[in-house]
Amino acid sequence: MVLNILKGYKMTFKTAFKDVEVTRTFPEFMMELPANERGIHELDATVCIGCGSCARICPNNCIEMVPFKYGNPLKNKKMVFPSIDFGRCMFCGLCVDECPVSCLKMGKNVVMAGWLRDDLILGPDKISVKRHTPQEVAALEEEARRLAAEKKKAAAAKAKAGDKKPAGAKKKKEEAGGES
Amino acid sequence: MPSASDILSALQSAFPGSIQESRVESDSRLWVTVDQKKLLEIAKFLRDKQGFDHYSGSAGVDRMADNLMEVVEIMASYANHNIVVMIKVKTPRDAPSVPSLVPLFWNANWYERESWEMFGINFEGHPELYPLLLGDDLVGAWPWRKDFKGYPDTTTGKRTVERVDASGLTSYRIGLTDEQVDSGQIPQRIEYPTFREREEAHIESESEMILHLGPQHAIVPGPFLLDVLVDGERIKKAFLDVGYIHKGIEKIMENRTYLQGIVYTDRMCYLASISNNEAYCGAVERLLGVTPPERAQYIRVIAAELSRIQSHLLGTGEFLTLLGSATYSPFQYMIIDREDVISLLESITGARITHTFVRFGGVRNDLPDGFAEQARKVMKMVREKTMEYKDLIAADPIYRKRMDGIGVISPQDARDLGLCGPPLRASDTPYDMRREDPILAYPDLDFKVISRKEGDSAARVDVRLDEILESVYIIEQCLDQIPEGPVQEKLPKKIKPEPGEAYYRTEDPRGEMGFYVVSDGSDKPYRVKVRGPFYATFQTFTPLLEGVYLADVVAIAGSMDACTSEVDR
Repeated sequence: MVLNILKGYKMTFKTAFKDVEVTRTFPEFMMELPANERGIHELDATVCIGCGSCARICPNNCIEMVPFKYGNPLKNKKMVFPSIDFGRCMFCGLCVDECPVSCLKMGKNVVMAGWLRDDLILGPDKISVKRHTPQEVAALEEEARRLAAEKKKAAAAKAKAGDKKPAGAKKKKEEAGGES
Repeated sequence: MPSASDILSALQSAFPGSIQESRVESDSRLWVTVDQKKLLEIAKFLRDKQGFDHYSGSAGVDRMADNLMEVVEIMASYANHNIVVMIKVKTPRDAPSVPSLVPLFWNANWYERESWEMFGINFEGHPELYPLLLGDDLVGAWPWRKDFKGYPDTTTGKRTVERVDASGLTSYRIGLTDEQVDSGQIPQRIEYPTFREREEAHIESESEMILHLGPQHAIVPGPFLLDVLVDGERIKKAFLDVGYIHKGIEKIMENRTYLQGIVYTDRMCYLASISNNEAYCGAVERLLGVTPPERAQYIRVIAAELSRIQSHLLGTGEFLTLLGSATYSPFQYMIIDREDVISLLESITGARITHTFVRFGGVRNDLPDGFAEQARKVMKMVREKTMEYKDLIAADPIYRKRMDGIGVISPQDARDLGLCGPPLRASDTPYDMRREDPILAYPDLDFKVISRKEGDSAARVDVRLDEILESVYIIEQCLDQIPEGPVQEKLPKKIKPEPGEAYYRTEDPRGEMGFYVVSDGSDKPYRVKVRGPFYATFQTFTPLLEGVYLADVVAIAGSMDACTSEVDR
């Protein structure tokens, strides 16, 4: 009986002198996180197209699309980017899976303590890891304007060339409406 | 061994005209819609003549468009065959009433109580139709009907009355106004004795008293109330009250898209989040008619088995500490081992407990680089450590005195009570979903279904420790056999299954986890029913604790490895 009880202590002694890492003194020592870790989001603002599919899939409605200056106006016409409320986020990663251009990722940073509730709402300026400089944005905007003007011109030209057809269709419709 | 179509023809010849609809989904799945007057006879016929001795649960469905309520009874067999028969009964929506199956299957009790309080379906002949999960305020609101508008209740004739009491606080009551009572249009509020009155009705003499264990108590894994009526040291009767953390996950999932539903399955029981994911995704996959690629199946098996190891380690460790194993504290050691297993899971899924990893037709991502070596190292460690724990437990005299021969459940009792998972297998019934339903890569893998003959508390812990070893063996096979290839089947961006229904079950660390999903063709499930494993085990506490010593309550209740979160959902 006593021997059997002592047998239990064998384990205690075996582990007492072994180097077992159990408690880490966070934040001085951070544990090693795997490459797949789902931490705070990282946004590539140069790629984001502002489609808002991340905001739609979010089960907790914690993503809001907000305006942000340093994106690519060629791709992101409205210049809106995700802003994430980490007070509600449960790090499920559905937004990352849903992103059609893979601009949203989840990184290894998991520290997000703050003093205020608003500190937990991280906008695109906080979560974007890649963004355009103001000069690049200006150049891209210029490009966007030029393209828009070209498109307008082309559309106008097209409208002139195909003037008869749509007008004819419209007339027919009007006639039909009048008859009925 | 019979197949599903044999059962159908037997039913049709025994009850001509009573089988209204039928569908043979596969060799092991049969769906029949029967006349509700014949339900009891059909269930009796299936139990006695066709070997369906396992009543697995029931679900209510509110078919508002057809003005009908449906009750789906799920029946299977422990040892005779692997067919699951889903018996549907239809009843008019304005006065829903179906015969109760409690006279045939004792464990139908809770499932029917839940259907009653959620849908208002009356079960004729049910012995105690009292609310189970809901608070008394919500009874009569029938919250899972499709026309429920939220709390305070506005469905049953806008009966909610807002009142300001003396202290200035607002309270809501579902009361009746005098005119409503006079006109007789609205039914009276349902009268039933409260939990306390039901308890106290059992006190017979001065020497008896009621002892409360919970809702907050050191031995309980989550909030639930276990009241025991004691006469001296003996327990005369036990009473269970659950629903303290009822989250209404089934209703939430009806209001989310199919993909968003996955995250809620995680949160039902964080120790078993992978197998909950698996059960839900499997059911939706059946609706969509897709099968995941082979590599994804292996990854799912690896993740599920890792999740089983960590759940058993935590459950056993916690329980041994509660028992007061004086000479060593296994909880600390087991949680150190579990740490490595969790890290392994984290390296696959990216999260430590709420994984959200399984997807329809595959998994979220592939295994990381160098996973196989790391996994082999951890598995070797887990195997060595588990052997060591088995040695320690075998030698510990305190443990043996408290566990051997305590809470013995005979195989017949275990089946009649509807236990599942390790407690059932400890009572000499090798019933495991991995064997019963050929899901994922399990048919290609070699593994034993662990079972014990004794049926006592010690056997239940032994089964868990042996299952850890078996899971290690399964994972090692998977690492050897896993093929290369894609991990995700191509699916449309918007998941919209055809109208239909599916039932899919997996082996949770705690037993049989089943998901019954009904689709109406939209992007949201019409109804999700969770057939939780611990729900089934939990209701057996009441009969099991009768007549035992008070000090053995911990040994018996703890050896079941409880998870209240999943019971309440």
